[in-house]
Amino acid sequence: MMKYGWAGMAAALGMTAGMASAQDAVTLQLKWVTQGQFAGYYVALDNGYYEEEGLDVTIRPGGPDIAPVQVLMGGGADVMVDWMPSALAAREQGAPVVNIAQPVIRSGLMLVCWADAGIATPEDFRGHKIGTWFFGNEIPLLNWLSQLGIPTTGGEDGAEILRIGFNVDPLLQHQADCVTAMTYNEYWQVIDAGVTPEQIVVFRYEDYGVATLEDGLWVNEANLSDPAFVERMARFVRASMRGWEWALANPEAAAEMVLDHDETGAQTLEHQVRMVREMAALTEGSTGVLDEAAYQRTVDTLLGGGSDPVITRAPEGAFTHAVTDAASME
Amino acid sequence: MSRTLPVLTVTAVLIALWYLAVIPMNATWEYDQARRAGAELPFAEMVARTMAQERPVLPAPHQVVIGLYEQTVGCDAVGRRMCRETTPLTVQGFGQRVVAAFTSNRSLVYHAGVTLSATMLGFLIGTGGGILLAIGIVYNRAMDASVMPWAIASQTIPIIALAPMIIVVLNSVGISGLIPKAIIAAYLSFFPVVVGMVKGLRSPDAMQMDQMKTWSATGAQVFARLRLPMSMPYLFASLKVGIAAALVGTIVGELPVQEGGLGVRLLSGSYYGQTIQIWAALFAAAILAAGLVGIVGLIERRVLARMGMKR
Amino acid sequence: MSGLLQGQGAWIRLGFGAAVLAACWLPRAAGAEPGELTLIALSAALALSVLVPGVALAGRAVLLLAMGGALCVAGVELAFGQTGAEAQGFWAAAIALWLGAWLLVALVADLPWRRGPWGLIAPLVFGATILWAWETVVRALDVPRVILPAPSEIAARLATSSETLWIDMLQTFGRGALAGFAIGCGSAFLFALVVDRYPFLKRGLLPVGNFLAALPIIGTAPIFVMWFGFDWPSKAAVVVAMVFFPMLVNTVQGLTATEAMQRDLMHTYSASWGQTLFRLRLPAAMPFIFNGLKICATLALIGAIVAEFFGSPTYGMGFRISTEVGRLSLDMVWAEIAVAAALGSAFYGVWALLERQVTFWHPSQRGR
Repeated sequence: MMKYGWAGMAAALGMTAGMASAQDAVTLQLKWVTQGQFAGYYVALDNGYYEEEGLDVTIRPGGPDIAPVQVLMGGGADVMVDWMPSALAAREQGAPVVNIAQPVIRSGLMLVCWADAGIATPEDFRGHKIGTWFFGNEIPLLNWLSQLGIPTTGGEDGAEILRIGFNVDPLLQHQADCVTAMTYNEYWQVIDAGVTPEQIVVFRYEDYGVATLEDGLWVNEANLSDPAFVERMARFVRASMRGWEWALANPEAAAEMVLDHDETGAQTLEHQVRMVREMAALTEGSTGVLDEAAYQRTVDTLLGGGSDPVITRAPEGAFTHAVTDAASME
Repeated sequence: MSRTLPVLTVTAVLIALWYLAVIPMNATWEYDQARRAGAELPFAEMVARTMAQERPVLPAPHQVVIGLYEQTVGCDAVGRRMCRETTPLTVQGFGQRVVAAFTSNRSLVYHAGVTLSATMLGFLIGTGGGILLAIGIVYNRAMDASVMPWAIASQTIPIIALAPMIIVVLNSVGISGLIPKAIIAAYLSFFPVVVGMVKGLRSPDAMQMDQMKTWSATGAQVFARLRLPMSMPYLFASLKVGIAAALVGTIVGELPVQEGGLGVRLLSGSYYGQTIQIWAALFAAAILAAGLVGIVGLIERRVLARMGMKR
Repeated sequence: MSGLLQGQGAWIRLGFGAAVLAACWLPRAAGAEPGELTLIALSAALALSVLVPGVALAGRAVLLLAMGGALCVAGVELAFGQTGAEAQGFWAAAIALWLGAWLLVALVADLPWRRGPWGLIAPLVFGATILWAWETVVRALDVPRVILPAPSEIAARLATSSETLWIDMLQTFGRGALAGFAIGCGSAFLFALVVDRYPFLKRGLLPVGNFLAALPIIGTAPIFVMWFGFDWPSKAAVVVAMVFFPMLVNTVQGLTATEAMQRDLMHTYSASWGQTLFRLRLPAAMPFIFNGLKICATLALIGAIVAEFFGSPTYGMGFRISTEVGRLSLDMVWAEIAVAAALGSAFYGVWALLERQVTFWHPSQRGR
């Protein structure tokens, strides 16, 4: 169960006391398309948690061509969901993004390989083809290979990296020996395609100490100097965490809410329910506050990337507890 | 029409080839699965299975047709209530289902509508801009010398690379939704219109221009009564190319915006490995394009017939 | 017509003068643009442009060269000399420079030399003006680098990453696009010959081909990647799908472009189908065939790049563009786009040059 220091009631009471009757507009840019990965936010929207906090929230789905950092810097959103490695890399590129909350505290990233490809340990990646997504998602894999000392140029001694699309066909069609997958999404697509767990071998990043923090809430640093903005974000984070708590206790209903918001009409209920349940494992125990030790572990993993580090120096001021502190003050 | 029989024959041959191709392409997966299960797979059963796979490498034609039906006016697309209350077999029932399909975002009809709206807007902008640019190029030597090569070069820039950037830049000045998609569609459709109109506006020959001069026609009259009418055939030829290009541009522009549309449907089918969804969306887009080009062709025949320029 | 042009030139000149005056009169921050050098250069360009109409041809070219030089100086100053403290005078000077460049293009276009390399001057000036405007606006409005980089940054990236760009070009153009172009155009040509031989096929195949050509490439590219693998064969397949139909349509149209009299003549020589084909119909079809080749030249590279968006090894132009957007290195993205545009235009130009050699007899190859 989620641990909260505040009761939803107290928050609501506090809100009704001195809140302006007009709702404050907040735009959230998601990292990917509408799916159970972001169930908490959709629940908060549909259950009225944002409304109770006096917020009028618009959730913008992401996609393969959408870089959340770009949208944030272009003013198209007030807050974005992004993975820490790509956000820190963007910060080093000159985009001043700052982490204000970290709802997802465990990594769901994994590599799924065919059992008969002869890969039993990460060392066996040599001489095999690994398919990965890019757009910021390749950073953990390249990082891991760099730490193992496996070159990415292919051949007998190295691993051949293929850029694959966001599905598991390359694995199923044997075009790659391993593919990147999320525990809550692609892994289940492989199983749904008729592959049994005995036919595959999985390598979870968490098990090998190369996991990095994933979905977090990030904002533009320039906005943080405005106390009204910080206060608005605090309300947003608080309502979002309430949404996550409810979603994890009611996965079927949460999945239906996600389906209602799906613009493409391509989602299936079964897949989304499974996704929300898996997210429970990744967010269990989270209060939304970024744990400094976990942050430092991610930074160390990224800095230790051997010949091709993702970031070249330790980021400064990349996160703030001001928002989560303000959120728990009620 | 003397074309019906040849078209039907060619289509029938292509479909037969398609069926034949399904078998070897889907066979690998079937044999793989049989091997893992340790079972034997007789040939006939394998063929039957390849025609009914859920995630085929190449879906069979009947799978695509069924998929198209189910995703436009089928039960899944129009909702359970509509499904129970109407039947597609009567004209009235079919009509009710189509109307319901327009508002359900699980239906390809809805997504085709989204794509169509952006395509039409982009096509109008692109055609308007293209005609204006063509007039400028024909009447202003400076523009002719400087702009035309860049118009050609602009088509060598891959729009799929520019589309996300255009959308981000437009969003940052507050323009979002339909208009960025329309602008990308206009970008792709203006070039054929420019090329065609320039050729058309320059098509009157010296004798005809001299004739206008003997009637002491002003510049505007020469334009309205000679150049413009003579450019109509070229304009319509380019409009047909342009509207297809506008559709492609809209689909590319939908990907970063993610607010419904056939392009989004294509990609989301790709993410969740729903091959038949991809093929259904693909064919829906092709049908839409063919339909649009056909409508332009119809308008062309009417207009040119009235102008006395039967083709 | 020339009267109209004269009038236009006068309006631009007036506007140019007015803008230069405004730049001098409007408030300017000390030390910021437009500085003394900029204003002197703009005024010099204005003076030169006034002199141009009254001078003979050779002198005119020299004057225009000098005017171009003055505008360059002013442009460099305005773009790179900004200090961030610019006032209204800056925008007046920017508009003045834009109008001055426009005037230069109009005056150059008026020169009688248009053939060969001389014809490139006007578009080059126009292109340079666009690049200058881009650089100036990006710097003046402080546009974030992760949204739109300045041309100077892109040029720097072109220089430092030339090896990566070369590898990408080899993969995408050298292997994917060229192979697809050759296979696609070659097979379309042969197919057109077959279609021409059997009119039944022509009536049946062209409408069906029309429909197949309407399948959007965004949808067919992932399917081809799934079928042909991640390396260049799938890219070549996408290119083949893209270029086959336009080439087929153009070749078929070209093969029907002979007149009845000409075909009758061959008939009187009792020429066989093959002889008629090679000696009459193919040469007559050349303008259409080259039209098709030019269209397919631009489509080929775009098709290969788009195909790489959906799966590729870790090199290639499409791969580089899509992943560098994710890494927010937009200067690399634009460098790749610039290379793609230049390459596509060059490939188009090759076929245009060849066309001029082969179809020298066609009316479209004469001057206007």
